Amino acid sequence: DHHERKRKKESREAHERSHKAKKMIGLKAKLYHKQRHAEKIQMKKTIKMHEQRKTKQKNDDKTPEGAVPAYLLDREGQSRAKVLSNMIKQKRKEKAGKWEVPLPKVRAQGETEVLKVIRTGKRQKKAWKRMVTKVCFVGDGFTRKPPKYERFIRPTGLRFKKAHVTHPELKATFCLPILGVKKNPSSPLYTSLGVITKGTVIEVNVSELGLVTQGGKVIWGKYAQVTNNPENDGCINAVLLV
Amino acid sequence: MALYNFKKIMVVPTAKDFIDVTLSKTQRKTPTVVHKHYQIHRIRHFYMRKVKFTQQNYHDRLTQILADFPKLDDIHPFYADLMNVLYDKDHYKLALGQLNIAKNLIDNVAKDYVRLMKYGDSLYRCKQLKRAALGRMCTILKRQKSSLEYLEQVRQHLSRLPSIDPNTRTLLLCGYPNVGKSSFINKVTRADVDVQPYAFTTKSLFVGHMDYRYLRWQVVDTPGILDHPLEERNTIEMQAITALAHLRAAVLYVMDVSEQCGHTLQEQLELFNSIRPLFANKPLIIVANKCDVKKISELSEENQKIFADLSAEGIPVIETSTLTEEGVMQVKTEACDQLLAHRVNTKMKGKKVHDVLNRLHLAMPAKRDEKERPPFIPEGAMMRRKAMEVDAPKRKLERDLELELGDDYILDLQKYWDLMNEDEKRDKIPEVWEGHNIADFIDPGIMKVSVREIPAIRTQQLNLCARCPYICSANDVTSLYLILISLLTLVAVLGMRGPCTSFSFDSRTLSCFFSRICLARMRISCISSSSLSSSESYSPARSFSSSSFSSSSSFCEGREKNKHTFRGQSLKGRNTFDKCLIPLFLH
Repeated sequence: DHHERKRKKESREAHERSHKAKKMIGLKAKLYHKQRHAEKIQMKKTIKMHEQRKTKQKNDDKTPEGAVPAYLLDREGQSRAKVLSNMIKQKRKEKAGKWEVPLPKVRAQGETEVLKVIRTGKRQKKAWKRMVTKVCFVGDGFTRKPPKYERFIRPTGLRFKKAHVTHPELKATFCLPILGVKKNPSSPLYTSLGVITKGTVIEVNVSELGLVTQGGKVIWGKYAQVTNNPENDGCINAVLLV
Repeated sequence: MALYNFKKIMVVPTAKDFIDVTLSKTQRKTPTVVHKHYQIHRIRHFYMRKVKFTQQNYHDRLTQILADFPKLDDIHPFYADLMNVLYDKDHYKLALGQLNIAKNLIDNVAKDYVRLMKYGDSLYRCKQLKRAALGRMCTILKRQKSSLEYLEQVRQHLSRLPSIDPNTRTLLLCGYPNVGKSSFINKVTRADVDVQPYAFTTKSLFVGHMDYRYLRWQVVDTPGILDHPLEERNTIEMQAITALAHLRAAVLYVMDVSEQCGHTLQEQLELFNSIRPLFANKPLIIVANKCDVKKISELSEENQKIFADLSAEGIPVIETSTLTEEGVMQVKTEACDQLLAHRVNTKMKGKKVHDVLNRLHLAMPAKRDEKERPPFIPEGAMMRRKAMEVDAPKRKLERDLELELGDDYILDLQKYWDLMNEDEKRDKIPEVWEGHNIADFIDPGIMKVSVREIPAIRTQQLNLCARCPYICSANDVTSLYLILISLLTLVAVLGMRGPCTSFSFDSRTLSCFFSRICLARMRISCISSSSLSSSESYSPARSFSSSSFSSSSSFCEGREKNKHTFRGQSLKGRNTFDKCLIPLFLH
């Protein structure tokens, strides 16, 4: 009995699915249709794979790289242009003398964006205090200045100690403690405050990775560049610099 | 007892379903509209609510799963061991542990992101934070995919485990595969276990229930055990070993005398000796099965010696055959008796017995004179008991006839009809006769029956039922009460059938009936009132109601006071008493 029922249920599935697909509305429908579209693509691929034997196809292995048809044999080709453009790019880089970083250009963050004005005083007229609205890093031995005198407030909720650092070659991500902020591209003020925004170069503790120099010394600090907006994502994602 | 909770475990969803359901729930149950120009605290609250709602849902569902699944340390060791054998304790604990970790991680994520959202100063920022939070929670759950799948399978299997009560009276069947354990349980209980010629037909424990001496007994059928050391045993055999180890039951070790199972008697004896330690403190019986093929007396000398040795050790050896059913009942009674005695002994040695024993006291009356006063057992009871002990030949049932004739059987109820002329039994009854529809036919002559005759007919009917042995022997108040009610309703029903004005009862039956009622000091008034109220719907003569009620109540009051006068009255036959009661019954 069970097998009979199972067989019948499976044969009804197609009808039920189409009925559901027609009746669904709203966000659920969008998600469902997206998923179904992906499924159908896969199905079509597998069907095509099965049918490959029946069709004739161009065999790519037989033509070697760089092979050119007879009527184009005399031309010199485009490879030289490529070489030239590469040379120009190299020259430009040497002129700048900059570091090779994954994000060479980053949007500059203005003061109004990063620092929020805090009004103080009996009549809330004084406006010399600022609160940092972006994620920041404060060292281990950090103690605030007496609250009456501190100009820049770095709230506890926005202080981060760890960053998710990706090794570009290994393509693996590790959660490493931050040692300090090396440079914030927007302003040296932010560097001294320890504000971390997109493009900031930070120093991370890589002793976990077990890297060793040629001399035999263990590397325990390396630079990494932040690749996301930490205040929007709640975490710091960085790419290890080499 | 954690027994029945196994069936009430909530379904464990797959990771994908879990995520989909929770996210769509968040989308449906929280407000969806927010604009840039709202006040920032409102925007923040909106998004924080979503994050917290999602976290709450995940948390609740995971807590429920973790609470539903039985903790191996809290349940009876039999079940703990069985689950270890079936599902691997380590894997089970790990899976649940992973879920617990996931739950904590989700809580932490939500906490962090809610804290961060307090510093969100734009709608975009809060929205991104909420997106990040939900995404992280869902990723945590995606990683638990395999744990959730495993737990779902465990749950399904767990709900199908047989409900074995480890503390009640149990008989446990064990032995080699194919010796006849499953056929035994099929014979003794209503269980329907598969019986097949290949070994390991039974792959898990089965339970059957039977009754003996007004008590419920469990019979547990186990898969067969082969003779190798404990470490080499597979899952199926380990279930049997677990049952043997943890259930305090009477063990029935089944042996195949005819060696049809494929193992010689010597091998079976070897197995018996190797699992002997598991039988400590348990009443043991050796069941020599398949004796219809080969009896013990037909065996060779050394094999007979085996059985002789076993019985010499004090273990009863009983020959049975599950095919011809000989010896099965004997095994059952022997095992049950032994187990009961064992259980009583254990309880007597315990401490709780004294609580009960101290309160019991059997008082034997001292003899006051030489007269013998034995207990009185009526004749009927003695006869019935004798009939029960001797297997009286049962009359042939229709079922037996059906089984005999097989396909040729036709249900013929007309042979039981009690007609004056025996030949007319099989005659076809016509539907229409002489222009009348037989089913609706009412003889006009019946209307002309004289008024005097109706009561006679009715009383005859009533006397027949009042004379039955139950009423005659009924002595206590409640049964008399019940009988009176039934009589009254019967009277009311009969009274409905046609116009009737008067009635007389066979006063003798009534008198003896009511005298007993008086003697039992029953309050007729309440009975009559209840009967009257119950039969209010039937009233061809409703005008009599009030008068009858008052008269009957007064009569009853009067009667309770002077029962002697009533007795005197009754002997006269039809009399005022009857006349008073008539309206009562008329109602």
